Amino acid sequence: MLDGESVAVAFLRPKLSGGRFESGGIPLDILKDMAVLQEMTVEVAKWRFLAENPERKRSPRGFMRDIELRLTGIDEGSAIPQITLFYPTDPLPPVPPREVRYLEQARDAIVATIGAAERNEPAASHLPERYLAYFDRFMRSLRHDECVELATPTHKAPVRLTRETRRKILLESSSLSEFTEQVILRGSIPEADQDRRSFELQLVHGRKLRGPIPDQHFDAILEAFRGYRENTRVVLQGVATYDRQERLLGVESVEHIGLLDPLDVPACLDEFRSLRDGWLNGEGRAPSPEGLDWLAESFERFYPEDPDVPLPYVYPTVEGGVQLEWSLGSKELSLEVTLADHSAEWYWADISADDEDERVLNLDAVADWEWIANEIRRLGETAA
Amino acid sequence: MTPETLLYRQVHPSWVRDGRITSQAFHPTSKDNNNLSVYDGDQITPEDAWNHYTNVLEFKSSGVVAVSVADCEDQELGVTSDPQPAFLEHVLIDFSGIATNRMKRVARRLSRLAGSRGWMYRVPVD
Repeated sequence: MLDGESVAVAFLRPKLSGGRFESGGIPLDILKDMAVLQEMTVEVAKWRFLAENPERKRSPRGFMRDIELRLTGIDEGSAIPQITLFYPTDPLPPVPPREVRYLEQARDAIVATIGAAERNEPAASHLPERYLAYFDRFMRSLRHDECVELATPTHKAPVRLTRETRRKILLESSSLSEFTEQVILRGSIPEADQDRRSFELQLVHGRKLRGPIPDQHFDAILEAFRGYRENTRVVLQGVATYDRQERLLGVESVEHIGLLDPLDVPACLDEFRSLRDGWLNGEGRAPSPEGLDWLAESFERFYPEDPDVPLPYVYPTVEGGVQLEWSLGSKELSLEVTLADHSAEWYWADISADDEDERVLNLDAVADWEWIANEIRRLGETAA
Repeated sequence: MTPETLLYRQVHPSWVRDGRITSQAFHPTSKDNNNLSVYDGDQITPEDAWNHYTNVLEFKSSGVVAVSVADCEDQELGVTSDPQPAFLEHVLIDFSGIATNRMKRVARRLSRLAGSRGWMYRVPVD
């Protein structure tokens, strides 16, 4: 705790890119993940101290006690938090500069570890294995399309921490039997044990996971449990545990849970993951998991939440694609998506008249998603 | 068959969402060779058609929907009886006279008509 005069030293400026960071600001989830940096850096600094002072069995009493890492700002125009190191100058004597030096060595070792994982080199060559476990909490909520770029005076070329590099680092720790990740899961709740305060989440494409029932989500979980036979589904955001084979083991904690619309598109797409080639009575290609990931994410990001733009009915196609369909009055609308190249064929027909139209779209283009939404609004208005 | 005869079409479970069937159920696939297989409703009940399809042919079906012979003729589709061994009620709806660019519209019309009649037979849910 710093009460008196202190000195501030620029320490780290991680650049957050992709996904949520592109729209400005930093999600609070990420700040929570970054808070681990203080604990990790101080512990690694103690290791550096002992490595340089082999005659010592432990670090000096009060070592690092008055030192803090603080978020002192966010660089304008992008998501670059400024992390600053503060140490006291009052009361005298000030913090010995050596502690700052060990903290900087710790920071460099952490960045070097990330760089090694990125290059598929042993991460443990820069940091003893026991410290790799800190990565279980550090940047846990990073998503697939997000990364953190880190550079230091001794590592001027930035290294990138992604969900994948984070996993690589964790899996190098032989003592770690499980690791955790922030996840969004969709499924139903076939079992809820009020006595043990636990529930079972049956994922849309099969597996069952057990998790704790937090007080604040007790009612939502029970409501989903009661609706199990009517196929009531939920979306759960929280932390899940994985084993070393990277298989989902269970839900460690629940942060948000909500009932899903029966037409929720990502949940419907999850169902298609269990399809295999020949699913349509011998015919029919299975949609690719990567393609389903892409469509689920694109739909969540670009399809508006607007009562005038209803959710579509979603079906797999024989060709291994996905077809979205809307019925608006006498009009039938469809979007046939080719997962391989992200193209789509838009078609609508008024079945009680001769009107119809079609167009080829590129679903990597935000403008084409906007066009779809506008067409649905327009056709919905004339159908009313 | 008469114009009022109902033609029973089986619907794959993946082609039903919240009770609504996809228009693809009435669009011939490449394997269909422009012919859609259905059951002659004058010769078999919807439930027996479903039992035959799932137990004898061993295909998957969530249930049975129907269009009439007249519905098909309105769309300029031919309807011909095509009895097979152990499948005497087999009927083909012939799309070969329909231009490719009209197929989608025709499939949507048939799907709508079938949807408006409702399920002729639906697999009981546990």
